[in-house]
Amino acid sequence: MKKNETLRTPSTPSRFKVGDRVQVRDMPNMFYTRTQNYVRGVTGTIAACTYKDLIPEDEAFNYDGRLEQYYIIRFRQKDLWEEYPFDNDTLQTEFPDRWLDPLETGQNRKK
Amino acid sequence: MTSRPELHQQYDIIASLQPALHVPQNCNYENPDSLFRALMHPPHDVGGQHDVPVYYEEKEEEEWELNTYVTCEVLGWKGIWSAEERRRRADNDLGYTLYLGMPYYGRWIWSAARMLVDKKHISLTELLDKIAEVKSRHEKK
Repeated sequence: MKKNETLRTPSTPSRFKVGDRVQVRDMPNMFYTRTQNYVRGVTGTIAACTYKDLIPEDEAFNYDGRLEQYYIIRFRQKDLWEEYPFDNDTLQTEFPDRWLDPLETGQNRKK
Repeated sequence: MTSRPELHQQYDIIASLQPALHVPQNCNYENPDSLFRALMHPPHDVGGQHDVPVYYEEKEEEEWELNTYVTCEVLGWKGIWSAEERRRRADNDLGYTLYLGMPYYGRWIWSAARMLVDKKHISLTELLDKIAEVKSRHEKK
């Protein structure tokens, strides 16, 4: 499919704002992804709403599908690696909307 | 022409490149969930995995590496593939043995050739004939 705005399905509205707590979905791994294994199921905080773009799983197969909002998510290193030695260190990485689930404040939050 | 001893040496090397699973595998019908998940794991997602220390080398790109980069970018500029498709092919589709065994830009040019064959811009026989021709030209120098 050629790059053509009119062929794209309407983009989804932004669901999250900076500061929201979100959990990364643990979707099946097959053929291609840019969602790292070590963030799946982990809770983080929206650090920035970046831009709308194609999702990697579509673009990697030249499928000019829907646009989705991208977010930069900030994780505590201790939430990713239990043995990590420093409490205040964080890791940021970026996902489109479909990889994120909303999380109510206080729910499932790690101590 | 490959001699028989060279052929057997190649088979030994290929066998030594097989992933070390430490248990016999033979097209298993039933895989435990953890093994299935590991099998489906994309090779390029290396974060968090154990590794040996990597030797750091200060090194300029070689001419073939720069040519590879330009070739792949031009293929993108012409709309034949996107950067994301290139990553899928060069980081993912080639499997662990090639991913770990080839230089960074070796994976790029491998995936560009594979993409051009897949999309029928060139046939595999055309590509192999060309590689053989260039190889023999260089051997005469």
